[in-house]
Amino acid sequence: MNPPLLATEGLTVHYGGVRANTDIDLHAGAGEVVGLIGPNGAGKTTFVDAVTGFTPSHGTVSVAGRRVDRLAPHQRRRAGLARTWQAGELFTDLTVRQNVAVAGGRGPLRNLCNDLIGRAEPGDDVDAVLETFGLLPVADRRPGKLSLGRQKIVGVARALAGATRVILLDEPAAGLDTDESAEFGTHVRAVAETGRAVLLIDHDMTLVAAICDRVYVLDYGAVIASGTPGEVLADPAVRTAYLGSELVP
Amino acid sequence: MDQVLLFITLGFAGGAVYAVIAASIVSLHAATGVLNFAQGSLALWGVWVVAELRHSGTLVLPVGSIPLGSGPMAAWPAAGLGVLSVAALALAAHLLVFRPLRTAPPLAQVVASVGLMLAIASLVPLRFSTEGVLAPPILTERTLEAAGTVINVSDLILLATALTVAAALSAYLRFTRWGVATRAGAEDELAARLTGLSPDRLAAVMWLLTGAATALVAILAAPTLGLDPIGYMFYVLPGLAAALLARLTSIMVACLAGLAIGVLQSILLLLSTFDGWPVWAQAGLGDAVPFVIVVVALVILGRRLPARGALGTVRMPAVALPTRPWPTAGVLLAAAALAIGLTSGSWRFGVVTSIIMALIALSLVVLTGYLGQISLASMAFAGTGGFILSRATMAWNVPFPLSVLLSAGVATLVGVLVGLPALRVRGAQLAVVTLAGAVAVQQAAFANPALTPFEGNLIDGPTLFGWDLAVRDGTDLTTSAFAATVVVIVGVLAMAVVRLLAGFTGQSFLAVRSNERAAASVGIDVARVKLAGFALSAFLAGVGGCLIGYSRSQLSVESFNVIVGLSVLCMAYVGGITRVSGALIAGLIAPLGVLYTLLNTTLGLGHYYTLIAACALVLTAVLNPVGIAGGTSGLLHRRTPRKVVL
Repeated sequence: MNPPLLATEGLTVHYGGVRANTDIDLHAGAGEVVGLIGPNGAGKTTFVDAVTGFTPSHGTVSVAGRRVDRLAPHQRRRAGLARTWQAGELFTDLTVRQNVAVAGGRGPLRNLCNDLIGRAEPGDDVDAVLETFGLLPVADRRPGKLSLGRQKIVGVARALAGATRVILLDEPAAGLDTDESAEFGTHVRAVAETGRAVLLIDHDMTLVAAICDRVYVLDYGAVIASGTPGEVLADPAVRTAYLGSELVP
Repeated sequence: MDQVLLFITLGFAGGAVYAVIAASIVSLHAATGVLNFAQGSLALWGVWVVAELRHSGTLVLPVGSIPLGSGPMAAWPAAGLGVLSVAALALAAHLLVFRPLRTAPPLAQVVASVGLMLAIASLVPLRFSTEGVLAPPILTERTLEAAGTVINVSDLILLATALTVAAALSAYLRFTRWGVATRAGAEDELAARLTGLSPDRLAAVMWLLTGAATALVAILAAPTLGLDPIGYMFYVLPGLAAALLARLTSIMVACLAGLAIGVLQSILLLLSTFDGWPVWAQAGLGDAVPFVIVVVALVILGRRLPARGALGTVRMPAVALPTRPWPTAGVLLAAAALAIGLTSGSWRFGVVTSIIMALIALSLVVLTGYLGQISLASMAFAGTGGFILSRATMAWNVPFPLSVLLSAGVATLVGVLVGLPALRVRGAQLAVVTLAGAVAVQQAAFANPALTPFEGNLIDGPTLFGWDLAVRDGTDLTTSAFAATVVVIVGVLAMAVVRLLAGFTGQSFLAVRSNERAAASVGIDVARVKLAGFALSAFLAGVGGCLIGYSRSQLSVESFNVIVGLSVLCMAYVGGITRVSGALIAGLIAPLGVLYTLLNTTLGLGHYYTLIAACALVLTAVLNPVGIAGGTSGLLHRRTPRKVVL
């Protein structure tokens, strides 16, 4: 059997004396959409930061069996591990097309040579990515001019440029209205259909239940439940974490 | 041992000034968020006001002067007036410059404070007769003997004054209601306003207090340190170093660090007199110390990528690429040919200098405008190019095009070295590092008598295939062959830069400029992109330095001193630092360029050039942060629909 596209073992993050993530084992296979849910402050974004190298952590992270936990963030991205950001964090000075084109990870010297001799990098099919997400009509606009929903989709398109195999979506549907959220869900499923692994972090339970194959639940930095969306939402521990113990009989 | 003690106490005077400047910088940063490069210039102004009062009894103001009595004024009243006039100057700086810039991006605040630093320093030689004026003693001249060495009591008084002033500033910010409100106001202006205290007025109080404190210590130390028309301006560097060591938070740590730097410089002075100390290290070591300290401190304290929740994004003026580069290049080439053909002598020299300066300004557009790295070291890169060129042509006999490539290559390496701290240091703090680096390179290399021959650095004129391209030919000050060479080199490099900025390189620069964390998350190697930016920028500046070298046939430390470097930054910012066209405007108004020639030959205002440049910078920062090029293209855009290249 092939190793899962994304696997973490014993992933642990300390902030000073506080354990923000404790011993998280998680895996996601090709074609899978995996949910990561939990109350505010449960350590979901910390997990994404740790997996993608933005915060120091212990434990292992591997992409298709290859250890990446010693690599810098940009090297993990080149190994196929991409993320989006809660706040979007698009490049405000670049157009939508440039936002996607700049991703994928070429060295500055290679860029310099390409620019001087006027060569386009082969294999860069930026317009195809934009087409998939319906972004071609706005390709030459700055992201600041787009609706929030569109900006989130630009973030996903940017994360998919290059040879992305695993994508971590950090609250991509926050701030979207119901229609936008549903449309976003179909995009996410379509991404998984291409053989990539998707890790979706979100508060929107309708979205998570609708598109995730499996769900992990975090509370106080540790996994307290995992399984299909139906199993997990019926789990008493999950209900306690979300609703408070006094409401559970 | 007694000698060591003696040199330690001799370091107190300089250390006390550094300490109070550092404490003032930390206090001002806590109150306003501004990193004030002009704190040393404020001290400079105070010292000269007092010297003039005690010389002729005249109170000199930035504009006009008031005669007070007929003869010299007594020491203490003069010192009091000096403190008051600096406090007033600091208040004016707050009201006219920094208050309007409260919410401006860090780059605007940095250039405004650099502009103020230059403006005050360039005003001093214009307003005071710097010939033959001395700083007679104010403090007691008594000495006491301890541990077998003679100690000046005045040095001990200066030490005590510095500690007291810092403790008072610290207590004000920590224990008084106003002080606490001042710190709150810098963090959240709106919330502080709701408490009923105006952050503006509290910031004004802070400017008054720090201005007075800095002036007091500088005036008391001046008889020991001596009068110098410029030196005090650079006292801000050890001050900034100490402030950064204190992480811009602890006033007392900043004060102690400032004192320590003063003592360290004094001890280095002692060491350099020993036999066996290398000759090349005798000069400039004291200036290199702050640089090393700043770099080490910031690299240890810094992070490779801004942390979550850190203010990682720097707002910068928007960029705009030339939409039709080839036709524009054609028009500019024709204009340059015309300008060279129609001029001769000093005017043609002005035109050629402008073209070279445009190249150096372009190096700043690349590094600061596109990559967002605030660098004050561009002239040090240019200087490296020029000084290596002198060796290459005179000692190693490297032929013309290769000599430029070699020299610019070395400048590129220096650029990468200066760029290393930028991997962990950002924004205004990077400006401090690069300025300290520029001063260190200037003092330790260009001004070092062991490295620079007595007769100056001569440069052999360029020849290509037996064709003489030298700048002078008999009485012709600037030959058309040399002018054409400059146009070709600058033109080719400018077109290459436009290509780079329009391509992947420009995109990755802008991505890093707008958000380092996000750039790393899309696979951009932020560290290497930054180093590539420093390398490219230093290469361009290095070529510019070579062309300056060829155009003068001889270089001295003055050709590339830090003041010239800061003026070029001023000009690049005034021209529009995020635009290639801004570099062109910067070239026209740069030192010794076309505008300077106009001021000097036609209007006879050459002395006022630096002052005008500095004031233009401050005004641009306050009124029009996108620069002249941005301001005019905004008008054009409204008329012509924008074409998109790529």
